[in-house]
Amino acid sequence: MAAIKTLFNGRLRYLFTAALIVGGIVALRLLDIQVLRHNSYVELAERNRTQILYQTAPRGRILTADGVALASNVPSFSLYYLGSSQQEKEYLQRVAADIAPHTPLTPGQVLAKLEESGKTGKATVLVENLSTRSTVALQELQQYYPGIYLLEESKRDYPYGPAASHLIGYLGSMDEREWKKRDPRQGYRLTSKIGKNGIERKFEEQLKGKDGGVYLEVDYRGRVKRIIQDKKWAAGSDVYLTLNFAVQQAAQEALKNSKTGRGAAVALDPRTGAVLALASAPAYDPNVFVPYADQEVPSSAKRINEYNLAIQGIYPPASTFKIITGAAALEEGNIDVHRKITCTGAYDSGPRVFKCWGTHGPVDFFDGMSNSCDVYFYAVAAAMGPAPIERMQRKFMFGRPTEIDLPGEKAGNMYGPTRRARNKTYWFVGDTLNLSIGQGELLVTPIKLAQFAAALASRGNVYRPYYVDKIVSNQTGKEQQVGETKILQHASLKPSTYDTLYQALKHTVDDGTARRVKIKGLDVYAKTGTAQNPHGADHGWLLAFAGREGEEPSIALAVFVEFGEGGSSAAGPVARAMLEAYFGSLQPSVSRLEE
Amino acid sequence: MAVLKTMRDSARNKMDTVLLGAMIGLVVLGALCIMSAVNSLSFSNAIVRTHLVALPMGLCAFAIGWSFNYQIYNEQWKWVYGVILALLVGVLLFGSYQRGSRSWFVLPFFSMQPSEICRICTLLVVAAFLDRRGRAIYDTSTLFWLCVLLAPVFGLIMMQPDFSSVVVTLPAIAVLLYCAGANLFYLGLGALLAATAGFFTLGWTYLYLHPELTEQGVGRVFYLLAHNGWYIAGFCVFVGMLGWAAWWFCKQLRIFLPTLYFILATLAVLAGLAGGIFVENHMKPHQRKRVETFLAPRSDPQGAGYNVLQAQIAMGSGGVLGKGLFSGTQSRLGFVPEKHTDFILAVAGEELGLWGMLLVLGLYLTILWRTVWVAYQSSDRYGYLVCAGIFGMFFTYMLVNFGMLLGIVPVAGIPLPFISYGGSNLVSSLWALGVVQSVYARRIGV
Repeated sequence: MAAIKTLFNGRLRYLFTAALIVGGIVALRLLDIQVLRHNSYVELAERNRTQILYQTAPRGRILTADGVALASNVPSFSLYYLGSSQQEKEYLQRVAADIAPHTPLTPGQVLAKLEESGKTGKATVLVENLSTRSTVALQELQQYYPGIYLLEESKRDYPYGPAASHLIGYLGSMDEREWKKRDPRQGYRLTSKIGKNGIERKFEEQLKGKDGGVYLEVDYRGRVKRIIQDKKWAAGSDVYLTLNFAVQQAAQEALKNSKTGRGAAVALDPRTGAVLALASAPAYDPNVFVPYADQEVPSSAKRINEYNLAIQGIYPPASTFKIITGAAALEEGNIDVHRKITCTGAYDSGPRVFKCWGTHGPVDFFDGMSNSCDVYFYAVAAAMGPAPIERMQRKFMFGRPTEIDLPGEKAGNMYGPTRRARNKTYWFVGDTLNLSIGQGELLVTPIKLAQFAAALASRGNVYRPYYVDKIVSNQTGKEQQVGETKILQHASLKPSTYDTLYQALKHTVDDGTARRVKIKGLDVYAKTGTAQNPHGADHGWLLAFAGREGEEPSIALAVFVEFGEGGSSAAGPVARAMLEAYFGSLQPSVSRLEE
Repeated sequence: MAVLKTMRDSARNKMDTVLLGAMIGLVVLGALCIMSAVNSLSFSNAIVRTHLVALPMGLCAFAIGWSFNYQIYNEQWKWVYGVILALLVGVLLFGSYQRGSRSWFVLPFFSMQPSEICRICTLLVVAAFLDRRGRAIYDTSTLFWLCVLLAPVFGLIMMQPDFSSVVVTLPAIAVLLYCAGANLFYLGLGALLAATAGFFTLGWTYLYLHPELTEQGVGRVFYLLAHNGWYIAGFCVFVGMLGWAAWWFCKQLRIFLPTLYFILATLAVLAGLAGGIFVENHMKPHQRKRVETFLAPRSDPQGAGYNVLQAQIAMGSGGVLGKGLFSGTQSRLGFVPEKHTDFILAVAGEELGLWGMLLVLGLYLTILWRTVWVAYQSSDRYGYLVCAGIFGMFFTYMLVNFGMLLGIVPVAGIPLPFISYGGSNLVSSLWALGVVQSVYARRIGV
């Protein structure tokens, strides 16, 4: 017996040792799953058993400096069916028939959804994004039919439609690439709308609130067992802009009503560089991207024009450029501002005769500026040469972007003999003359001219314009300052140069081409311009800055009307509306100045 | 007092209390887990009732196994063998067809699954056979006759078909052979065959998952091995030459091994290939899914990988102390599939936590330990072999169940004795432990 046993004595023991080793491995793996990775599995188990009916939180508002909300929120409602004990077809048909009139769906569609939900037991959304119009009736039905559940959400709304739409941007659904970029902790859902452009996009993180939701416990087939909790949303932070609502609205309206309805107007505060208005026409209504479910939006409305003329349109500055020529002459040309030059309607440069737009007779510097006499500036430029004009352009940073924080800004084009030299071509006298009146290869954007106007008004501060003031959290009330004054460069000219320019520009308003912006009680300084357009009607420019009588200028603006023909006739009314709105809004008690 | 003491001592002599305690512990834990697992089901009462009826029946089976002298199975092994065949033929003739297999007797008051009893009976018969072969265990003929003996049993089981019986019984028989002192070379051959078949099956399934690999290179050749006669023939020649080369080298190196060994090894590899091809061509879609899931558990978390993933989520979310009985969300809300049978351990893990799992594991190891301990005290070789067989069976159950849950072995749909719901399994497992106690009661020196 014992002999037999010795033959296989150890083998069962080896196997038991193997069993112990297996037990040890299992225990270690259990330790790994149940202790080390416990937390992640808890999260997975929680995700398994909860279905969340999300409630979109209100996005932060976008407000102007004077507190008008350009973008705010309105309530919208989602209609859910959580399933009910009553499943008879007749009953469901009655529910469907009662609900359908208050939704964009037909009773048949509602019934199909109800039946689907009844079969699976899952909570189903019937309609999302209903307006308050429908919900009063539905709220009553909710009391009447158990299982119907109305959930309030928040929807973006732009009360003033196209107001500053190029700054504000608009919302849209995420595409796949954007979805992948999102941090999962930010709580985005596939249906979440995100800012697609402008401020909505730039401050997406701050504007987005934390969605609330009703947490349902569901089983493995998604059938609702009970409501676990009801989580309140948290609204996003508000963004305050530097815009002046009245000026913005006035600019927008006036541009829309201008000769062609196409153009741009930019107003800056010459004391800080803050943007008071930035309007671009045609504008679009961002509301078309966030409609209610029971609201119809024609698809043509969604084909918007995102082209922002104020920063992307480049045109010759035309006569407004005479300020540069004039400044150059005052600074370096040693001209006698009172010496008269006779305008016969043309200037003979030798090889070619350059025409003036009128016949002004004998004009001095002030008349030349106020009547925008080309011959006067031809003569001045011919005497001084092109170099001082180019230097003056550099002082005011022509040909460089204003660096406003908006995508796609064009730099424009500075023009002068060094450019030509770099391209190894010749500079002719005719080029100097063309340059002196702002034609030729010279190109600027409306915002560039506004920056120039602000620089003149502040006696040399070339600002980097900013339009976002601060961000205020709705949860903590904490303020975050975003925008700040930044001077890109200081154009230091002789004080007398500025004085003379001011005098000339004032003269232009009082008794010259810019008479349309003459307003009682204000010191307005302006210069008009008509950019020759070989392809069609000329473009109208107006550059202005103004302050109350005897005070320093507090607004600087540039208005551009595409194909507007005359600077004064097309751009003048827009500028006037803006100035009136600005000084009217600053002190409403002051009556409308001069009709 | 003295009388009482004598009685207690004699009871102690007749039954191993540690094994009994481990068994009772597992049965109680199992009952709790089942009640908790089925709590949310609409037919929970029926299940709990059935289990509570099966329990006393199992205890009766335990008592019978304990009180009968185990040597009866040795002496009357032909009868036992006859009972196995009768049950298996009977279930094919009169059994009811449920869930894709004909393996249930439906009787007026209860149903039973004869293959559960047959697993134990098969072990008893094989133990008896090996005991009779005695010193001839080294002969090739032993293996041959063993195959003859088992062929009808496994043939009948595969006709049901009952895959899990095969999975549990084959390793137990291998353990028996090993413990009976079989030639390791033959066991090695068996392992080689199984490994080759498994390798080809897994490989081809892997190609299923990555069809682009079959376009060219090694993957293309491997793929054609299953589907092109020329490639198969080529592989056969290649293996044959490999075997011949090994034999030649051994001869040159003056290592003298029986020529038969080389022939058998070559044949084993070829049989493995044949088995692999057979499985490849006869695998049912759901079985292939299981293999795929094993190879890539996260590839399809909503589909086939879902079960294992959900079971792991259940265990992981249970943590150290568990969520408490009747409180596991994963099992209560139905995320864990087959929660009262195949995946009962996931429920235990979720609701009782790490401690519960370690307790179950510990009790199982205790049962294995005491079975080995009893085996070495048995008064004859047959008792030793019976214990070895039962050890092998429980070891396999433990390995497959824990391994499946932890993603170490594929999902096989095998219940965990004492813990899972299943009357027939409970009764036969308790009977098996009764037989071990019987060996203990009749050990050396009593």
